[in-house]
Formats: sequence, C-alpha cells, structure tokens
Amino acid sequence: MDSYQEHYLIEATELISNLENALLVLEKTPDDKSQVEEVFRIMHTLKGGAGMFGFQKIEELTHYLENIYDLIRDNKLATTAQILDVTLSTVDHLTALLYDAECKEEINKENHARIKNEIDIIVKAIGITEATAERTHSQKEVVSNASALYHIVFKPNKEIFANGTNPLFIVEDLLALGDGRAFARTTRIPPFDKINPEKCFVYWDLLIFTGTPVEEIKDVFIFIEDQCEIAVNKVCAFNIFENNQIDLKLFENPKTFNSYLVEIASRAPKKKTEDHINKKSELSGNTGVVASTDDDLDMGNPKERIKNISSIRVASDKLDDLMNLVSELVTTQAGLSLYSEQNPDRRLEVFSENIEKLTRQLRDTAFSMTLIPINHLFQRFKRLVRDVSLQLNKEIDLVIKGGETELDKTIIEALADPLMHILRNSLDHGLEHEDERISAGKNKTGTVTISAYYSGANVHIQIKDDGKGIDQEKIRAKAIEKGLIGKHDKLNKAEILDLIFAPGLSTAAQITDVSGRGVGMDVVRKNVTNLRGEILVDSEVGKGSVVEIILPLTLSIIDGLLVQLEHTKYVIPLEVVEKCHELNAGELQENINQLVTLDGKQVPFLDLREAFDADKNTAPELTQIIVVHKNHKRVGICVDTIIGEYQAVLKPVGKYYRNQEFISGATILGDGTIALVLDTNKIIEQSIGQKIVAL
Amino acid sequence: MNKTILIADDSESIRQLVSATLESSGYSVLVSVDGEDALTYLDGSIIDLVITDLNMPKLDGIGVVKGIREKEQYKFIPVLMLTTESQASKKEAAKKAGATGWIVKPFVEDKLLAVVKKVLR
Repeated sequence: MDSYQEHYLIEATELISNLENALLVLEKTPDDKSQVEEVFRIMHTLKGGAGMFGFQKIEELTHYLENIYDLIRDNKLATTAQILDVTLSTVDHLTALLYDAECKEEINKENHARIKNEIDIIVKAIGITEATAERTHSQKEVVSNASALYHIVFKPNKEIFANGTNPLFIVEDLLALGDGRAFARTTRIPPFDKINPEKCFVYWDLLIFTGTPVEEIKDVFIFIEDQCEIAVNKVCAFNIFENNQIDLKLFENPKTFNSYLVEIASRAPKKKTEDHINKKSELSGNTGVVASTDDDLDMGNPKERIKNISSIRVASDKLDDLMNLVSELVTTQAGLSLYSEQNPDRRLEVFSENIEKLTRQLRDTAFSMTLIPINHLFQRFKRLVRDVSLQLNKEIDLVIKGGETELDKTIIEALADPLMHILRNSLDHGLEHEDERISAGKNKTGTVTISAYYSGANVHIQIKDDGKGIDQEKIRAKAIEKGLIGKHDKLNKAEILDLIFAPGLSTAAQITDVSGRGVGMDVVRKNVTNLRGEILVDSEVGKGSVVEIILPLTLSIIDGLLVQLEHTKYVIPLEVVEKCHELNAGELQENINQLVTLDGKQVPFLDLREAFDADKNTAPELTQIIVVHKNHKRVGICVDTIIGEYQAVLKPVGKYYRNQEFISGATILGDGTIALVLDTNKIIEQSIGQKIVAL
Repeated sequence: MNKTILIADDSESIRQLVSATLESSGYSVLVSVDGEDALTYLDGSIIDLVITDLNMPKLDGIGVVKGIREKEQYKFIPVLMLTTESQASKKEAAKKAGATGWIVKPFVEDKLLAVVKKVLR
C-alpha cells in the first residue's frame, strides 16, 4: 500500500493545486455552475483517494466541503465570499495534512479545529445538520441467526440482461448460502417464433436451508433489487433435504410446488444436532462461489493490448540518473572523437561520427524530459495575487501568458522565490491604489502580466505591471546617499534602473508586510545569476515597470567556447560570447585604464594572464580577446588561443574553490584533462564594478 | 484465457491500486483516464468487465455506462461503478443507465476481487 500512498501524495498535491485554481476562477465567476461542478469533482477525487490511502482527516474535511458544494450545485446555496475563504483555508490545511495525516502537530491540530469550526458555522447557517456530524461507517452487525428453510421466489425483469447481469449468478449465490435447490420456471417463455434472445423469460423458485438472516439473503439482490420481483419467506426451522424421503419432482412442477412445500413443512423433523447443520451450511457457503471461478485464475498469455497513455510519471531521481549517464556519455564520446581524429581510420571515423550524432540526439531528448511547463509555477501566483490584493485593498488582474513554456525543473524550483519577490514588489510598490489610478486616468484595476517565451537557447520571463513606474531620480539620490555611486557619476537610464539590484537599496517610503523591507532585489539577482541567468529592469514613470529574467534552458550541459591560456584550457559559455578579436599583445600592456577600443567602442577588458598570474615570458605575440556580454554590459576577456566550440558537461568545483571569483565549474575534455568554466557574470560584475569606483 | 477488465478512473493512484489488485489475480487490465478515454476502448476488442469511477472529467461514469449499452457488442457486459457513500442518488441514475453493480469507496482489495469474481465467473 505504501507505494500507492506515495502516488496519492503526488496526485493529491496536484489535485490541491488544481482545486485552488478552480476556486480562484470560481471566485471571479461565482454563478458559473460548470465551475462549481469542477470544484466539486476535484474535491471528490481528492476525497476518494484520501479514504483509500489512509488520510482520514482529509477525507473528513473534503466530505464536509463536498456537502456544501453539493448544495451550491443544486442551487440551494450561493457561492459567498465566506464560503470561498473557508474553502481556500481548508485547501491550505489539506496540504499540511498530506504530510501529517494523523494531524499530530500542534499547529495542524489548531488549524484543524479552527477550520472545522468555520465550516460548522457555515453549515449551521444553512441548516444542514448532517454535514459535520461524525460519520459512522455503517457496518451491519452480524446477528447470529438460527438456521431455517426459506422459500425464495426470484423473478427477474425481462430486461435484466441489459444491465449486464446474469441471473444464473444470483441463483448460484443464493444456493451458496446453504443447503438448497433451485427450480427453474419456464412458463413465461413464449413460443419459439416470439422468443427474443435478449430478454430473460425464466424465473426461479428456490428452497434454501441456511443460517443467513433474511436481510443478508436480500443482499444477494443488492445490485438488481429494482429489476426483479423477490419474495423471501421462512418455511420451517429444519432442513427438509436432510430427509431423503422428499420427492423433488413435486417441487419441480410449479403446480404442485406450494402444496407439497406446506406438506413437507408440517412434517416433524428428525433429530439432528444444530451444530452439524450449521457447520455444513457454512462450508457450502464458502466453497460455492470459488468453485466456478477457476478459469478466471488461469494464467494464460497476458493479453496484448497496450494503449498508449499520453504521459507517464517517472521519479525525478531516475531522470537525474539519466541526465548523469547522458553527461558521462557525452564526455566519453568526446574522448572517442579525439581518438578517432588522432588515429585516422575510415571505419572508426564513421562509428565515431554516428555516435556523436546519436549522443547529441539522446542528450536533447533526455533534456526535454527534464523540462516542465512553467505554468506549474505561474499557477501558484494566482493565489498570491488574490491574497495580496485583499490585503492591500487593490483590485488586481493577473494575466499569465506562455505558461506552456518549458524549463528545467530544477530551474523552475529555484525560480519560485525570486519571481515571488518581484511579483510582490509589483503588487505592493508598482501598482497604485484605486483613487490614485483613477486620478491618473488609468483603469481602476491594476494589471500584472507574467509571460514566458523562448528565445534561442534561453527562456525569457517577464513580469510587467501598469503601475506608477520607478522614479529614476529617487534611485539616483538613494544610491548617492548609500555611497553606491558618486555625486557626479553620469549614468544612463538602464544603469540607474539597474541600481535597484544593488545591495541595501530600498526606495519604498513605507515598509509593508507584503514586500518586506526592500532588501532582496540583490538577492533576487544573485539567485538568478546562480542559475546562469540575467535579470533586467525597465520602467517608465506613470506607465509601469517590467522586470525580465533571461535563463538558460538547462543547467547541466552547455555549449561553450574552448580557449587556452598557457597550458590550461577554459570554457566560456557560448551564449554570452559576442565577438572574438585578435590584437597585438603590446596594445593591451600599454593600456593603463583597462579599456580597449574594439569596433570603435571602448570596452573594459580583463587579461586572464594577469589575473591568473601567468608567466609573462610565455605570452604570445597575438592575443585573443573575446567580448562577452551580460545585462547590457560588455567585457573583453584576453586569452592566448581559441580552440573552438565544445559541448561541456558542467561539474561543480570542490568546496574549497567555491568562494573564488572566476570559475563556475569544470568539465572533462575528450583527452581526460580538465577545463575550467569561466564565470563570465562575475567577471563582468567585477570589471565593471572596478570601473565605477575608478571613475 | 484470462479475462480483460477495463477500468476508468481519473485518479492515478486509484487506477494503480485497482489495476495492480486485478493484475495480481491474473486479470488483464486496460486503463483509461476518463469517460471519453474509456469509450475509445470499445473498438471490437474483447472486454469482459468494465469498472468505472462515477466522477470523472469529460464524461462521467453514467455516460460511460450509457455509451457501453449503446454498442451492440458490449450491450450485455457487466459494468461496475466505483462510488463513494455520498453519492446514493447517483447510484440510482447509474443503475437506470444500465450499471450492473457498484463498489463503494473506500474499498478493501479483497472485496473488490470478490465482487469482480462474482460478476465474471
């Protein structure tokens, strides 16, 4: 059962989030019956599983809710804000109960009691008494019953086949209850030319000696009670079949059946011990059903009919394993390619090329499997926006676009916090209050749009609001005050706006619950940078702001540019490379303020030779300068030689190297040596940072 | 020849539980995720029993029963409904549509097998 329970956990988490979304939609369209139906349906599925897999508390709560929504569905109750609020807080609590099924933790206990109480209030107001009353699982008490002979008339409707019922099975079930005989009655069968083979004309008289009480005998008919005539009458207290002197022929004839039965019943029974009789009836009761089902258990060839289900669920561990194996394969394949290059052999070359092609395809396929739609994340924001808009008393519309855009699941998980933060900022600081909006001539409802789309090997995520925008002057003043920039620094708009990501800068006049103290945009940038992504902001006063996050599709394998410095090889992520230039080494050395003019523009540069303390005597005459860009900024990185493109499997560097400035990881090359992956983001930040201070 | 049972349920965990239980007793199981999906299986292949959830998206259990009864080949096959206690009224509707019987959720695996055996002997 445990593995099912696990599955239920995953499923229930999904159901709960679906339920939450359905409720939010319902809140907007409270009269939409199909939405009520949807809410009800999800609750119901949740409840069904909860009961099956041992989540009694969830079953209990969803049961109460279901009752309420059942009334709404039947138009006996309107969807009120109160009901929705209680439902939503119940939904939150359900998530907690998934991990604390018994409701043992103090906080959950409190919540449970509170929610039950809230539901109670609603229920009392609408006057259903049944809703929160403790449900008792009806369990019929088995009353021990003295054995008796019963006469059962079982007359199925002629249409009974249409329900998939085989009346013979019922007869069999009845006979299995004890010692008995069945007599088929054929009087209803019409002449042959009138027979309809799809109708049932036969009925039965049965005589059964059993210890089963009448109620349980009737249970046999439970599925078909309204599709047949049934009569169960007690005849006498002894087993007539024990007496060999009965004439079955007289029972077989419907005309003599009744009179003969009366006659037999009036005979005194021979003395027999009750025990013996009971034992016998029990025995036949147990074996009656099983005997005829042997062929069901016959393990023949499993029937070959597998229908493709559009998706399957795979444990994320397995996907991670797969990705690791693919990474290993990519590395090994690089080794093979290198070997084949060094040892010219026609056939080896063909193999090597094919394997390279297959590896690439396998890599892409495996990647696509780890991608999940970003909607998983976006849907959560709906709830956030609802709660925040209530809290701030602002009317807010959340528009979601491109939710189907797929990203690596680890990236999506890591994005939750930063996006949440940006969103809160937009809601709190970006969007104005209603009166402010109206006087500015705007729609009184503020709109926040979250959109995602692909661009090359990147995914762009935008959070856009139509609020008051970011006041550049305010930021500038603040930054000067905090000493982030000098008084006379000339910054363009993008640079000023970019300062909101600087540590310790907050422009909010008021600190609120919703978006906190304004610390955090720097943390947001850090989180995004850790994902090898970049974050940009643009804003126009009075019109609104947009924050854009640009992320790589995946984290584990990148296309890189392999370069060399002395004897060490480095990888620069290809996506940040703008252009490569070749310069005389002398030109750089004479340069004092670390700026080089390329294509008519001044670009700050970093000489890796200098940074890594390389031996000056080994410097080549020509130096390669690779221009990389990030966040509107460009920096040149100087190396000795450019080797070429390389598919790099990223491996983290050991913990002793975590705090250094330039390296974000390592990769194994085809010949088994190691190349370090340059962290261009940090390099850019550093060089530019120094520039600003230097100015 | 082991019997083939088509199950329809939108809850994955229930689907798995039911199919694993049935398979462990030697039945062949076909799985569908909602009512519409279930009806796509009625394409001429042999199905001995259908077990369907009542509450499903797209097409509910009652719709499934109706769909089955409309087809000449499947007119008389047994259809069991998986219901919860709270849906007594729907039970009637399902029966009217032609359901053979029902299994009440939550159910024990043995009970399920007993009922299945009963209708399939």
